[in-house]
Amino acid sequence: MDFAMTDEQRLIIEQVRRFVREEVAPLEDKLDPDESRLGPDDYARLVSKVKDMGLHGLGVPPEYGGPDIDTVTMTLIAIEISQHRAGLYSPCYGSFGGAGLAHLYEASEDLKKRYLYPTLNGEKHGFFGLTEPSGGSDPARAIQTRAVKDGDDWVINGAKIFISGADKAEYGIVFARTDVGKGRNGITCFIVDTDTPGFHVRRVVHTLRSAYYATELQFENMRVPSANVLGEVNKGFAIANDRLSRQRIPYAASCIGIAIKAQEMCIEYAKLRETFGAPLATRQAVQWMVVDNEIDIRTARWATLDAACKADRGEPFRTEAAMAKLLSTEGASRVVDRAIQIHGGYGVTKDLPLERWYREMRIRRIGEGPSEVQRLVMARNLFGASL
Amino acid sequence: MKVLVPVKRVVDYNVKIRVKSDQTGVDLANVKMSMNPFDEIAIEEAVRLKEAGKATEVVAVSIGVAQSTETIRTALAMGADRGILVKSDETVEPLNVAKILKGIVEAEKPDLVILGKQAIDDDSNQTGQMLAALLGWAQGTFASKIEFDGDKILLTREIDGGLQTLKLNMPTIVTADLRLNEPRYASLPNIMKAKKKPIDEKTPADYGVDVKARLEVLKVTEPPQRQAGIKVESVEQLVSKLKEAGVIG
Ligand SMILES: Cc1cc2nc3c(=O)[nH]c(=O)nc-3n(C[C@H](O)[C@H](O)[C@H](O)COP(=O)(O)OP(=O)(O)OC[C@H]3O[C@@H](n4cnc5c(N)ncnc54)[C@H](O)[C@@H]3O)c2cc1C
Repeated sequence: MDFAMTDEQRLIIEQVRRFVREEVAPLEDKLDPDESRLGPDDYARLVSKVKDMGLHGLGVPPEYGGPDIDTVTMTLIAIEISQHRAGLYSPCYGSFGGAGLAHLYEASEDLKKRYLYPTLNGEKHGFFGLTEPSGGSDPARAIQTRAVKDGDDWVINGAKIFISGADKAEYGIVFARTDVGKGRNGITCFIVDTDTPGFHVRRVVHTLRSAYYATELQFENMRVPSANVLGEVNKGFAIANDRLSRQRIPYAASCIGIAIKAQEMCIEYAKLRETFGAPLATRQAVQWMVVDNEIDIRTARWATLDAACKADRGEPFRTEAAMAKLLSTEGASRVVDRAIQIHGGYGVTKDLPLERWYREMRIRRIGEGPSEVQRLVMARNLFGASL
Repeated sequence: MKVLVPVKRVVDYNVKIRVKSDQTGVDLANVKMSMNPFDEIAIEEAVRLKEAGKATEVVAVSIGVAQSTETIRTALAMGADRGILVKSDETVEPLNVAKILKGIVEAEKPDLVILGKQAIDDDSNQTGQMLAALLGWAQGTFASKIEFDGDKILLTREIDGGLQTLKLNMPTIVTADLRLNEPRYASLPNIMKAKKKPIDEKTPADYGVDVKARLEVLKVTEPPQRQAGIKVESVEQLVSKLKEAGVIG
């Protein structure tokens, strides 16, 4: 057991930390507090620096051109790159590149050529369409969108909700029921071009997050060729399970990054701000808030690195990833909440990043599987498959 | 041409330093340490000389505690070829650093030594100059540009009111100023390669130097707290307040 970073990890983290501090954070002084994109020049400059660092395509497996690093190192990097205002949903404004949707790596070579590679090049963007108005926690039961075979096509009818970024995407992954009455064994995964007749973005669903909007989709007799079935018919649900669990790790890590930054702000401000004749930092009530922040941060960090370690060793890590997601999202939410309290009125102004993190952190306890579903995943592992 | 670059492990420039309660120095426990920023510039310049085909080897030296290896690894990841750690748990004062470096120069025979103009912890700004004196070499301090003219160095330095260019004979000592270059980000492949680059371990005694301190630190204190400012309503009020404060007559 060793919690120490290797020399290489330390060096990588130093580079990334400097990048965030010197290249990314200063840009935010001039950006709208809710911005999630940079102008083309700044973006290109950042991307070229990330490429020079050899870290572009973070999260992309090395065989697809991503950096050759393990999950632990990736997690450490993910903790760093979220440490700025837009860091939760737009870490470093996307300059580390996107890994694309986990499911695409399981696709046929033809589909990879049409969707995965253009996504890794930044030419195409995809959405992930699972949740429906009938529910997101238990999609196996809730999915009502139907796909019916007609010749060499599938005809899809139904609706999806809360689908992030579908208004700006060129394609997306859509889960639809292909065999009624078979539960999770009757769901198929399709890749759908957003210019397909019958594909409609009904509206943008406004949420606490002010960028990268969630949308509501409707499919009306939308014809999708058989070649666009991802994986096997009726087996759409099991695809990429492992990769999806793995995704919870960087998801957790970005929350930890925000919490670390908020904690830095707390300590600095508490030492500076005086009330009733003494700095806030001298009050036990404030000290304990900062200590509780630290406990939340460290617990989440250990749990997340433990999940990453197990993933690297090839051991099962579903329980660990679920726990990491839960501890990080809930812990970081508390940290940001306390940080706002310590900053008083300034905490809720748009002069500071805290209010944005507060809004976005609230979503984090619901997205990518709510806390209750993470507990459910853990319970299933503890009680065995019988439950 | 062989280039030697000394690199110092210092408190990271982003850390707000705290004075120890007994006033004997700065608290270093659990404080993030990094390479002295001016030394990063020195390494960058040396690596650029190598990439331009002018330098054949870049050697990074650090004098200090065992963890200074981390600082050397950073230099290796930026592109230095090998490292020398001169291990000492004692604080090594500038003159002793210069003496140790003199020993290393005699053993390594570099054509050029590039140092940071000063370290951001003690701000001494002495080592480069002392080393030049001990070796009897030419020196170009506060360099903002280094060019070559045959076997001589054309070195631009920032001085009050303008730029000065020196023509220096080799071998020579150069100290790097802020605007000499912008240090690179070490790349992932180079970080991985750095792992395999050798670091020699030495002690001050290997160079016949006794690092016993000659200077005694009496007291280290925080700078005085800044008084809060006030807002004035008019130019008249501003003038009268400045007079009150004795800033203007
Ligand atoms: C901003 C945003 C972006 C999103 N982006 C996407 C996207 O891109 N793609 C996509 O497919 N989905 C997306 N979602 C949907 C998200 O994944 C779902 O909201 C989530 O899965 C929960 O589903 P639900 O909202 O239908 O809640 P429900 O499933 O109706 O659950 C309601 C509440 O009950 C709890 N609960 C459920 N089951 C149990 C149980 N057995 N025991 C106890 N409590 C339980 C849940 O945790 C939740 O708190 C997004 C959501 C938001 C808010």
